[in-house]
Amino acid sequence: MSQVKVVFFASLKESLGVSEAFIELDGLTSIEEIKQKLNASLVNPDPLFEEGIQCSIDYVFARDSSKVDPDTVKEIAFFPPVTGG
Amino acid sequence: MIIQVQEADFCVQSLYEKLKVKNRSGAIAIFVGLVREFQGQNSSDSIDDDHCFQLEHYPGMTEHNLKEIIDDANSRWPLLEVCVVHRFGKLALNDQIVFVGVSAAHRAEAFLACDFIMDYLKSRAAFWKKETTSTGSHWVEAKESDSFSLKRWRES
Repeated sequence: MSQVKVVFFASLKESLGVSEAFIELDGLTSIEEIKQKLNASLVNPDPLFEEGIQCSIDYVFARDSSKVDPDTVKEIAFFPPVTGG
Repeated sequence: MIIQVQEADFCVQSLYEKLKVKNRSGAIAIFVGLVREFQGQNSSDSIDDDHCFQLEHYPGMTEHNLKEIIDDANSRWPLLEVCVVHRFGKLALNDQIVFVGVSAAHRAEAFLACDFIMDYLKSRAAFWKKETTSTGSHWVEAKESDSFSLKRWRES
């Protein structure tokens, strides 16, 4: 088992009420499976499943089907669509 | 390649000077984005002294995104220098928020690359705007038109 850090940003961070979480992963795990783990561990997980929520694995945009290797991945992030510029 | 993600304002003239490549730059295209109001769109009576924006970003990912976008631009056009500066933190209406500058031998690639980088930055760089007025705060929502803007580059 390896621990991976999960961070949240902007409106998602506010609606979840937390800026980060740590999850234990055992081998390759998809983003979808990680969301289910967070669904069980966060007090108010519903905003994580709202339409348009995006994610990244070590700064690279990822999909629900993307796999996380807990031995090499440092950080997963979830956030709403970006609005810079 | 110059990438700066910073809280402080930037000086367009000094960034322009950095884009000049001696004897080789024939064209420099520059875009500067300013903070405008979102709530109340075009309604001047909604402006008040409390009106401001808070720009949140994802340190590390932001720089990573911008480098990828510039790498992509460099693979599409022969560019001499590219500079992107994006601010975060508290900003007021009319403040400078983003700078994109491209130096090339000819204007066509300078214009195209500048346009391309801004389109990708709007949809792929990890920044989020929160607008505050006297009536409260809200997160600015992404525009559908921004994702449409990306399609033209994928089709070209």
